[in-house]
Amino acid sequence: MTSKERVARTLARQQPDRVPIYDKFWFETERAWREQLGCPFVLHPERSKYDWSQASPETQDKTLWEVFDMDITEVAWPDYRLRLVEPTVVEETDEWVLERDGNEAVLRWWKHKMGTPEHVAFGIDTPEKWAQVKPLLTPSRERVRWEEFWPLYRRGRAAERFICFCTVEPFEMVKDVLGHELMLKNMLKRPEWIHDVFDTYTRVAIRMFELVEAEGMTCDGAFVYGDMAYNTGPFMSPRHYREFLFPYHKRMFAEFHKRGMSVIFHSDGDIRLVLDDLIEAGVDAINPLEAKANMDVRELAPVYGDRLGFVGGIDVRVLLTNDPEQIRAELHSKLAAAMPYYGYIYHSDHSVPPGVELETYRALLEDVREIGRYE
Amino acid sequence: MSVLSQIAQAVIDGDEQQAPKLVEQALSDGVAAKAVLQDGLLAGMTEVGRRFRDGEFFIPEVLIAAEAMKTGMEALRPQLVAQGVKAEVTAVIGTVRGDLHDIGKNLVATMLEGAGFEVVDLGVDVSADKFVEACQQRSVQLVGMSALLTTTMPEMETAVKQLRGKLDPPPVIIIGGAPVTQAYADQIGADGYGRDAATGAEVAKGLCFKKAS
Repeated sequence: MTSKERVARTLARQQPDRVPIYDKFWFETERAWREQLGCPFVLHPERSKYDWSQASPETQDKTLWEVFDMDITEVAWPDYRLRLVEPTVVEETDEWVLERDGNEAVLRWWKHKMGTPEHVAFGIDTPEKWAQVKPLLTPSRERVRWEEFWPLYRRGRAAERFICFCTVEPFEMVKDVLGHELMLKNMLKRPEWIHDVFDTYTRVAIRMFELVEAEGMTCDGAFVYGDMAYNTGPFMSPRHYREFLFPYHKRMFAEFHKRGMSVIFHSDGDIRLVLDDLIEAGVDAINPLEAKANMDVRELAPVYGDRLGFVGGIDVRVLLTNDPEQIRAELHSKLAAAMPYYGYIYHSDHSVPPGVELETYRALLEDVREIGRYE
Repeated sequence: MSVLSQIAQAVIDGDEQQAPKLVEQALSDGVAAKAVLQDGLLAGMTEVGRRFRDGEFFIPEVLIAAEAMKTGMEALRPQLVAQGVKAEVTAVIGTVRGDLHDIGKNLVATMLEGAGFEVVDLGVDVSADKFVEACQQRSVQLVGMSALLTTTMPEMETAVKQLRGKLDPPPVIIIGGAPVTQAYADQIGADGYGRDAATGAEVAKGLCFKKAS
């Protein structure tokens, strides 16, 4: 069975030959492992050297996903900044840089390590300012790094991997423009403004998907990223998810479903309170199922396994023990619960952190291929 | 409904226009500033905290309530100063060294203010030395530390050791953040752990006001 067939069957909750495999890695993990694997990491020469989110491996001959022969390839990742410009440095030290980006947000980034930036200020903080910049948000070929994703796409097609169109949804897009606090407050204070912002970003996201498709980069599924929760629950109530995000998610995911593409939805944190709504909006599988946020596939599969797939849940804290027995027990426990429903894809419960040894991870993948085989 | 109850309700409703108006009305009715604070504004935030803890309120409701409390406090502050009313407990909070995450820490600051603390927010990327220095510059009863990353959690242990080693008496220390657990708090000798902002404020209140009395 090819990777494409394996993942397609899994997302349709039909029995594949084995549990598919996918994962994400912290930058520091990838850098260390690439040194050991003899394919060291090189920063893109034209990118901001301070922006680690741009320090992607697509310019390399092989991604870690390919090194480990994983089943999914991610492409596209449209850039939704208002202005596609290099950030302006406001202040910097040897350790960090404070810069104003294309969304007029001022962020502080570490220079030499990966991590969430500090959100210092947001320039778009009123409906009037939003109205002025809204026309900038137009679909454009310039929003996709074609020179990086075309080679990845072609290699993925040649290896018959399951290719995912990757993007973010409105909550994730807008947090980079208004910031969490302003966005969440104004759901209550100025709901019409927030609706306008979400509607605008949803339109552009759909147009960008159509543009990528028209360029010939047709995909098998969609991987949509939208962090809308933390350890103990979603940022907003289920009622406000229903009012503010559900309509836009439904519209966006419908475009993928029209083309027969399944939707994998990524959110950190505990999203159990909005799972039914996400399923109704069109989500076919969720990722990454953070163990520390009570997203336990052993509890979720019996309840949702007939209508939802699971991509994740393997606790990185267990991987960090580098103890093969503990890791195997973690895999056994969670795969045994999820596999009967056929909709499970192996993935750590977020990203593999530094401290997990390369040999630990290789052994883990062998275990997944063994334990995850369907008879 | 008494004016103090109306102030509390304005906070719960997140009505930042009405809160200061009601505060001024209460003061002109002769209500003592301390009562306006305790039984009006803080009572409102206590209820907000309860609703957040119990899953009735989420972050948007807490944020607008905090704004209402802030505008109410701005109207009240001159009278608090004039009548010599001060916060009983001062808290220093920050995200630990190496970590830039601030959303959770900001929410904790809001909830601690709502619980009656005076809050000194050191921001992000705060070294152990800086926590100690902040405590040496003023009388501090509580230190709250936040970490988002497993790689920055060890900074909490460093800070706990320094705070206990260099301050006499040491402040109450509570910790929180995505990768943090009660077990980790116990392991490093913190006094308390908050699994979220509301719980953290309750734990802090329980530890500090008990100690103060």
